[in-house]
Parts: sequence; C-alpha cells; structure tokens
Amino acid sequence: MFKYDVVVVGAGGAGMMAALYASKDPSLKVAVLSKIFPTRSHTGAAQGGINAAMGYRDNSDSAEKHFRDTVKGSDFLADQDAVEFFTTHMPELISELDYMGVPFSRDKNGKVAQRPFGGASSPRTCYSADKTGHVILHALYEQCLKNNVRFHNDWYLLSLAVDNGHFEGLVAMDIRTAKVHAIQAKAVVIATGGYGRVYWSRTTNAINMTGDGTAACFDIGIPLKDPEFVQFHPTGLASTGVLLSEACRGEGGYLINKDGERFMARYAPDKMELGPRDLVSRSIETEIKEGRGFGDGMGSYVLMDLRHLGEEKIMERLPQVRELAMDFEGVDLVKEPVPIRPSCHYMMGGIHIVDHKTCATPIEGIHAAGECCAVSIHGANRLGGNSVADVVLFGKYAGQGAQQSAKKRSFTSTAKLELEKIKWTEKFDLIRKKKTGINMFEIRDKMAETMWYNVGIFRTEDEMKQAYYTIEDLLEQFKDAFIGDSSESYNMAFINYVEISNLLKLAKAVTLGAINRKESRGSHSRGDYPTRDDENFLKHTLIYNEGEYYRLEYSPVTITKYQPEERKY
Amino acid sequence: MRTIHYKIKRFDGKREWYQDYQLQYEKGKTILWALTAIREQLDPTLVFTSACRHAICGSCAIKVNGKSFLACKTSLDEVLETFKSDYLVFEPLSNFEVIKDLAIAWEPKMEKMKQVKPWLIPSNKGSVERGFIQSEDDFHEISSPTDCILCGVCTSECNQLAVNDGTYLDPFILNRAYRFSVDSRDCAPEEHIRPVYENELWKCIHCMQCISSCPKGIPLTDEIAYLRQESIKMGEVNNQGAKHAFAFYDDVRNKGRLNETMLPIKTDGLLKTATTKIPFALRMIKKGKINPFHMPKAIEGIKGVKEIYKYAEEVKHS
Ligand SMILES: Cc1cc2nc3c(=O)[nH]c(=O)nc-3n(C[C@H](O)[C@H](O)[C@H](O)COP(=O)(O)OP(=O)(O)OC[C@H]3O[C@@H](n4cnc5c(N)ncnc54)[C@H](O)[C@@H]3O)c2cc1C
Ligand code: FES
Repeated sequence: MFKYDVVVVGAGGAGMMAALYASKDPSLKVAVLSKIFPTRSHTGAAQGGINAAMGYRDNSDSAEKHFRDTVKGSDFLADQDAVEFFTTHMPELISELDYMGVPFSRDKNGKVAQRPFGGASSPRTCYSADKTGHVILHALYEQCLKNNVRFHNDWYLLSLAVDNGHFEGLVAMDIRTAKVHAIQAKAVVIATGGYGRVYWSRTTNAINMTGDGTAACFDIGIPLKDPEFVQFHPTGLASTGVLLSEACRGEGGYLINKDGERFMARYAPDKMELGPRDLVSRSIETEIKEGRGFGDGMGSYVLMDLRHLGEEKIMERLPQVRELAMDFEGVDLVKEPVPIRPSCHYMMGGIHIVDHKTCATPIEGIHAAGECCAVSIHGANRLGGNSVADVVLFGKYAGQGAQQSAKKRSFTSTAKLELEKIKWTEKFDLIRKKKTGINMFEIRDKMAETMWYNVGIFRTEDEMKQAYYTIEDLLEQFKDAFIGDSSESYNMAFINYVEISNLLKLAKAVTLGAINRKESRGSHSRGDYPTRDDENFLKHTLIYNEGEYYRLEYSPVTITKYQPEERKY
Repeated sequence: MRTIHYKIKRFDGKREWYQDYQLQYEKGKTILWALTAIREQLDPTLVFTSACRHAICGSCAIKVNGKSFLACKTSLDEVLETFKSDYLVFEPLSNFEVIKDLAIAWEPKMEKMKQVKPWLIPSNKGSVERGFIQSEDDFHEISSPTDCILCGVCTSECNQLAVNDGTYLDPFILNRAYRFSVDSRDCAPEEHIRPVYENELWKCIHCMQCISSCPKGIPLTDEIAYLRQESIKMGEVNNQGAKHAFAFYDDVRNKGRLNETMLPIKTDGLLKTATTKIPFALRMIKKGKINPFHMPKAIEGIKGVKEIYKYAEEVKHS
C-alpha cells in the first residue's frame, strides 16, 4: 500500500500550486495524482488572463474595487469574507508567479501588463498574450520539476475512503497497468477541475472535465454547493464547442439566422450583437428553438458573419479567431460565416468548502481547490479572469491547509480503505468482462442532450422535471452499461465508464438544485421566475448524496460589506 | 459514398499489429475527429490521448502516413489532399516509448529535460514579494519559446534523434534551455546552456524538420544556432560538443540507418566527404569558413530539400 502524508489529486493550476505549498515542509511525503500528464490540464486553455488589482495600468484600482466587482458579478451570492480574502491576496500572488518565471506581457514600465475585462471597473486582468493559462501551467510544472514533486501520472482517482467521519485515504487506478491501488494519507487536496462535460458536445471544456473529484466527495457525504449555476458562453464553434473569443462580437460580427436576419434586433434592438453574454446566448437558443436555426438537434447552429469587416480588418484584429475557425470548423471567416452556438463554459458550483483560508471541507483532512469546488467567490456568476486567479490562490491555501491537517492528524486504520480497493477491483473485473448491454456513449449523449435542452440556458419547472426523470432513468440504464473493452491494462473504456457515471450523478444534482431555486439569479435564468428573489433565495444550495436519494439544504451567504442591490451594467 | 480507410498501429504491451478501420467521408473534420469516431463507433479498445481539442494541451500528436501532426489541429481534408489518397496510416510518434497503441510516455523525456534546469534561476533584481521589472522587448524574447505545448512533434521528426543513442537533447528541450537562457530575469544562462553543449548540441544536422512541423511555429533552429554561438563564447571550442560537429555522419555510418527524408545527403560523395573531412571541417568551423550557426530558413517540401543539398555541398567544398 502507498502511504503519503499529503496526496494532491489533479495537476492543473490548483493542484500544482497545492503540491508546491504542501511540499514546502520537507518532513512531509507528498504526491500528486493526475489522470493526464500535468501540462495537459485544462488550466492551459485559459487565454484571457488572471485578475489582480495591481494598479499598474490604473492606479485608482484597488483590492476593494476588485472585491466589489466580484460580489456584484456574483449577483450577491458570493461569500464576502472569502472574496475579500481573495482580492486582497491576489496582487502578491502575481508577483510570486512572476518570480517563478511566468512570462507575463509587460507594459511600458516593465510591469506586468493589464487589460480590461467584462464586469471589471478597472483594467486589472494580467495576461500573457492569449496564452495566460498555458504559461502559468507550464511555470508551475517547471517549479514542480525543480522541487522534485512526486507525480503519479495517468493515475485515476476512483473514490475516497472515510469511516465514521475519519478520512483514511483514497483508491486510484494506475491507468497504464489498470491496477487498483489503495493510498493511505493523512490529508488530501482535491483539485480535479470542472464538470462542463455534463453538456458533453456543447461545452468549451476539455473532454476530461468530468468532475471526478467533485463526485468522489459527493459520494462520501460532502455536499455539493450551488451546482445549478452554470456559465454559458454565446460563441462556441458549432461542431466542437471550441471557444471563439468575445472579440468577434466586439469587432462588429453579425449573428444571422436561417432566414438571413440579424435576429438580435428582436432581443436587443439597441446593443444588437453587443448585448451581455447571457442575453445573446438566450437569443441564439430562442432562434434555434423556434426553427430559425440551421441543422438539427444537438447539431443546430446560427451563423456569425464577419465578412463585412473585410479581409484587412479580420487579419489585423482577429487573426487568432480566424485560425481557430479555420482549424476547428473548416471555415475561413474572410469568405464564409462561421457556425456557432452557445456552450457551457464554467461551473460555479462544486465541493462545499467550509473555511476559505485552508480550503477545508466538512471532513477533516479533505481539502479542495479550483473549479471542482465552491469557496464560494463566484456565487451565481463568475467574472472573466477570476477563475485562474481563484485556482492558483486557493491552490496555495489548500496546500498549506493540507500541510496543517497532515501535521495534526495521524494515519488511521485502513479497514475501509481496503474494502474500497476490493470493491473497485471487483467492479473493474465485472464491468470489463460484461459481454452485452447498453452502449455507454449513447447514455452519455442522451444525458447531454437532456441537460442542454432542459437544464441549459432556459429553465422552467416542467422541462427541468422532465430532465430529472430522464436522468434518473439514464442512471438506471447505466447499471447495464456496456463498455466494449475487456483489456486488463490501459482500459480507457473503463475510465470513460467511471467518468460518465460521475457526470450522471452531477447532472442530477445540477437539475435538482435548479428546480428548487425558484428565482433567476446570475447564470440561473428561469422563464417561470424571471426575477431575483432575495427574500427566499439569498442562500447557498447544498445537496447531499444519500444513496440514490439526494437531500437538499440551504445555508446562509456571508455578507460583510455589500448589501444586495439590483445588478445593472 | 466515399470511404476513408484507416490503418492504425496497435500495441498492447507485448504484441504489435496494424488494424484496419473504415469511416464514411465527412467534410471539414479533423484527424482527432476520425480517431474519436473510430473509438466510439467501431472499437472502444483503441487508445490515444487528447484533451483540449484546440491545440493548446499538446496531448494528441500522432504520425499520419509517416509525418507527425497535432491530430486536433490537422484537417482531414488537407491530409487527404496532401497524400492524394483515401488510405491513411496512423502511428504513434517516433523517438518516444510507446505505452499502448498511440499513447506515449513523457516521463523519460521530462527526466532528460531536467538536465537543462528548465526553470527560472531568478536574479537578485527581483523578489517573491515584488516580482520583476522586465521590458516589453525582453518579454518578446521569451514570448515565442513559451508557446511550446510539449506535443512531441519536433522530437518525432528529428533526424538526429532517429540515429542517436539518446544523448542528443530533443528539440523541445533545447527550446526550454534557450527560453531560460534568454530570459532577462534569469541570472545563470550558462546553467541552462552547459548541459546543452555537453549533450551533443553540435549534432543537429540542419534538416529543418522540427521547425517545419512545429504546430506553434517556434523557430527552433534559430535557437540552436544561438545556443551554439553562446557555447563558443563560453569558450567551448575544444569541448566535447564542438568535437562532435558532423559526428552525425559517423552515426549514420556506424548504424547504417538513415531516414528517407534525409535521402539527399545519403549520396556516396557526401558520406565520403564527411568521413574524410571531419577534422578538416572542424578547423574550417573554427576559422569561420563554414557556418554551423547559420540555419537555412524553414522551407517546406522540395525547396527545403534543396537547402539541405546546398548545405551538404558547402561542407563538401570547404
Ligand atoms: C476555453 C476556456 C477558456 C478559459 N479562459 C479563462 C480565462 O481567460 N481566465 C480565467 O480566469 N479562467 C478561464 N477559464 C476557466 C479556467 O481555465 C478553469 O476554471 C481553471 O483553469 C480550472 O483549473 P483547475 O486547476 O481547477 O483544474 P484543471 O486545470 O482542469 O485541472 C484538473 C486536473 O485534475 C486532474 N484530474 C481530474 N480528474 C481526475 C481523476 N479522477 N484522477 C486524477 N486526476 C484527475 C486532471 O488530470 C487535471 O490535472 C477558461 C476555461 C475554458 C474552458
Ligand atoms: S487535444 Fe489538446 S492539443 Fe490536441
């Protein structure tokens, strides 16, 4: 049996930062598990940047303003003590990243450059050209190499072992050998990223963003906080969901339906295509719903036309966008309009954190950081540039928190851990040898379609209830899922099987949270309850997994400075 | 209906074989689409790696008809057009250890990369608390080399690695060494450069394959030229590295192996020149007569081949 003081699960921005901090204490044995090679993690996909009130570009900016913007952006559902902590510590973190070697773009004075971003009252988004997440991820990996951090690459977290509230360790599969291992640990940091893949083909997320760590915590009784809040981006490429930057609309792109109309005239006659993200997303989906889109089913889309800008302007202002459309949709923007459709971009909800300074969950020894959890600083809606910031900052504090837990706790018994290992070993054998059953990819696609149409951009009671029954039915069908691979080693089909099972569990929780939140707030927009209802819903959703039954609770939002007011931009 | 035929190299840890699959042609798809469709519709046992599907995570590179590509960024239509064939062969990248099917191991490469200290050795002009001041120009020096996504295409295409015993550093490792050695915030460029010339820097044969295949367009060969210049400045004319100039030809002679793309230099004349004139060539380099710091521009296709020829001729006549 493997034995570590601290295990970090996930090697994205949050995981590597946690590992670096946990291993600052040389007396502790620390290891990182990642289901993919560290630099493949989705943190690398972040282009735009990372928010911190450095005040380099606008010296009137301050942590206080960043605090206020974030709370307002969250539609007042963020916990204000956590947000203040976050915005106060971000500037020093940028300097720390600079010192680690992150190649930030620079201003005339040689300071880290900053750009304006949606929802920010000052230009405070630090960046490195259009590859901010990528360079941060690589710099963190370089620091891990330097500090000899121990990685188990291609290791997949299956479950956590907790006996009577005592955390014993975790069970993971070494994907290459398909051997199931028990790992005894005093503390763990879950940093497994988001779960945008509940919408499968309609997301900007990488294919492995399946919420494994979130589901593992959910399974051992840690509640899921605010899962109903899902951020959608209006311009994902139609066939893959790959993100096309906001700049396309900014530079004057038209959105066109099947009848050749600039349909935004119907929804935002003044701002047209420049309306806010959620409004544009809803408008596109309305067009499709009412039969004015192209294609059908999950393959429906509208067109974004940039041709009137002319080749010169496109080449000058939007070269990256043109390249993306060319590479991933086979369309040259200069000559043709590009098919687009809104896509799920980010999950505000996740593992319930009870102490933002240590990123502790309700179970002692278990910590979490990054998109997999909800601290909560994003509340009902995340601001652009606040996630990579969240990830590295709370990754650091989760690492420190886990270090403290490991010092405080001793190794417990391993009775439960060993049972878990046997359970998974047997399950692997059973599933891989199964000869017939329902195709798991079909179940996955049905889940995505249901979630997209019924718990997507538009939400109403009836449709969501329909979705809830469908997901329950899919969970039932999943018991007979067939993976089609009996390999004893590197069985990716089995990994996909566990991933889909996690997605189904989380999809059900998203739906349940959404049905019960009878208001519209931030990204959660309901046709039947179109306004925010602070009296009844200024509170966090907490969903507990009790076997197949999910229990719903609510907990208060921490408000320190800013009383809720109408969110207007 | 047009059918595309795929032949995929499989490996299960013991056995190797090629397996055939067919998919209906669809317009506007990528290589990664084909791999995914094969896996989800025809054969769930097929193993390959991918994540971001938009050319930033570096997971998905494979060889198609012998050339290395990033699967997610490469259009199927273009590949079919280039090879003028509806029969495609997919194989794992070359010069890597294969784990299963198209999946390769990166850990040995990372161990190798550690030699060049691929991390910032911060100068005392900055601090953890305040970071650094770095000019825009200095940022631009490190902007392109930090585009590297560790996809492995350069390694797979490298003709030196194909014949080398594993000492020669992969192009992406040279890139990391370069990236830190030119970073104005780093105080010890020699720490990154020394391991480079101690590991056969001079064996780069200017075949330009790395630079013409890099999906991020990183000017790898210019970087190599720079590293050579710096190592000479560091007084390394007599060191192992410089003595190994042109030793590539030795490798070829000893192992009797040469990649097809290098056919032009496989002329008897050149090999003879190389074996008889190496010491002479080395003296020439010192006198600055032939220029190992000069790299031809990356020119794809036949023009690139001509450049290589020209270079070989220079060596011959010097
Ligand atoms: C296209 C795109 C653009 C974005 N742009 C921005 C931006 O400009 N600014 C911004 O602030 N945010 C942006 N975001 C959001 C932001 O990038 C992410 O929220 C953030 O990077 C998540 O980081 P993470 O460390 O939590 O997880 P990830 O970086 O996703 O890492 C997850 C890690 O967990 C591991 N893992 C998962 N499951 C398991 C398992 N079962 N066992 C073992 N390991 C596992 C994975 O291997 C991986 O290493 C963007 C997101 C997308 C999709
Ligand atoms: S899948 Fe990420 S680079 Fe191709």
